[in-house]
Amino acid sequence: MSPLNSDLRLRIVDLVCSGGGGHIPSSFSVIDILDCVYSKYIRPHDFDHQQESKYTFTLSKGHAACALYSVLHKYGYLTSADLETYLQYSSILGGHPDCTKVPGAEASTGSLGHGLPFTVGRALAAKIAGSDKVFFVLVGDGECHEGTIWESAIVANNLNLRNLVVLVDYNKSSDQICPHNSLYEQFASFGWYCLKADGHDPDQINAAMQNAVESDTSKPRVIVFDTIKGYGVPMLEGHGPWHYKIPNIEELSIIREALSS
Amino acid sequence: MSASVLDMKAAFPKAIEKIGKLSDKVVVVVGDIGHFALQGFAKDNPNRYYNLGILEPTLVSVCAGLSKEGYIPIGHTIAPFIAERSLEQIKLDFCYHSLAGNLITVGSSFDYATLGCTHHCYTDLGLLSSYPNTEVCYPSSARELVALLIQKYDSSRLTYYRMSRASHGVNLPDIKFGTNIVVRPGTDITLLASGPQLKTALDISTLLDDKGYTAEILYCHTYKPFDTNTLQESVSKTGKLFVIEEHIYNGGLASTALLSAVMVDHNLKFDYHCIPDTFIRKYGTYPEICEGLGFSAAALYPKVINLLQ
Repeated sequence: MSPLNSDLRLRIVDLVCSGGGGHIPSSFSVIDILDCVYSKYIRPHDFDHQQESKYTFTLSKGHAACALYSVLHKYGYLTSADLETYLQYSSILGGHPDCTKVPGAEASTGSLGHGLPFTVGRALAAKIAGSDKVFFVLVGDGECHEGTIWESAIVANNLNLRNLVVLVDYNKSSDQICPHNSLYEQFASFGWYCLKADGHDPDQINAAMQNAVESDTSKPRVIVFDTIKGYGVPMLEGHGPWHYKIPNIEELSIIREALSS
Repeated sequence: MSASVLDMKAAFPKAIEKIGKLSDKVVVVVGDIGHFALQGFAKDNPNRYYNLGILEPTLVSVCAGLSKEGYIPIGHTIAPFIAERSLEQIKLDFCYHSLAGNLITVGSSFDYATLGCTHHCYTDLGLLSSYPNTEVCYPSSARELVALLIQKYDSSRLTYYRMSRASHGVNLPDIKFGTNIVVRPGTDITLLASGPQLKTALDISTLLDDKGYTAEILYCHTYKPFDTNTLQESVSKTGKLFVIEEHIYNGGLASTALLSAVMVDHNLKFDYHCIPDTFIRKYGTYPEICEGLGFSAAALYPKVINLLQ
């Protein structure tokens, strides 16, 4: 059985191979979550890319840029011609997203720990304005080492930012360095409304997202998604040399085989 | 405490209250500094005032997020925690995103004289000037603070205001953002000063008068964009430039002024007095640290005379 979103995963691999750089395993761990966010929330409410959408998504772990670009392409924000220029001198698509250039990108990220506090400010603005906007922001578990994540957790709870939904890509990057005891418990102890889901199961992703968006709680929400780095291609899964590696021809063939079998 | 210090402290919350009335887009975010002083604004605008807590990097990012959604953020806390601790948030969340807003600090330089290096900040003006999409100013009187804030709070860039604790005590006319003020005309040497050190420059000029020299005194309240025209006009006349500022010697007014002045006079005679490349490990009062670092007319007069002879 082929993994979910094999087409998007192949697009990620094609980008990395054509551009000569990128993070394949980190992009594979988030791609199923991003596809749900865009298919269920962003795209249906953002018909012409001009009017403000009710939902926005920010990729705080900017090194998963290829996942973002693949999804933005699938939902019509980027063209195939845009993707062909990835990492080239005059391209709008760099190794980390630049929201001043990339249609549909909500923040320029890369240095970890910025996307969440930035989005806290946006969510606060919406609260002040009395708007019904909802802000999704995806952070990595490694990123959750950053102090600004927990500063933001304090502030969002204190301000009752119920329009903020944090999506944690718990792909176990942190476990190899400085493990978290439990990200779910940590956010819970900061007063957040916490959910868990399998980040590669579309039904679980959708159910958790719906729960987070529709819950009556006044608190900010977090979904800790259990994910696998490189999910879908056994050769890429887990941690090691594939974090920032470009496949050679033989390896590319193995990847294609895994994603089409 | 001098009357001028009280003036600056009182002017800040009044200026914020005034701006709050000018635009309902202004949102004030503080890091538990100025919280009581700003209660007037907070009571008038309960939905537009937030004391976030002691988490300055997030304070800066939150301000950038507010700006992204169309609000006019005013972030406020102590200078080192904004300009140094939160520098990456300034660089990425404001400047790289080309977002506008205001960061107003207290406690720059060695204003918190007794608190030591953790609460000193001699690098802020240079650091903030070094990124694209910033404006940097240094109001050192109540009138300047109010004037500059009203002129720039709704700018299209990130505007940094280093609010000095002490004032130079001079009632300056025509305060216009981005324009140096000719405080006193002269022909023999240009004394360029910022912040409370304007008073030192005036004291030096009095000593020079006794020797028959007339100093032209320029006062700089806007570091970026720097007013090159006024300076170049002055040094074209005097051929000599002496800069006094409470900032580390590189990246501040001295280096900016030198680059500007030397373009019109390659034979320019130049010297400066800034904070040296070392940590200030003394305590005491602000005037005592000024004296210890040589920020006085008596200490600087020989350096200035040396340029004139």
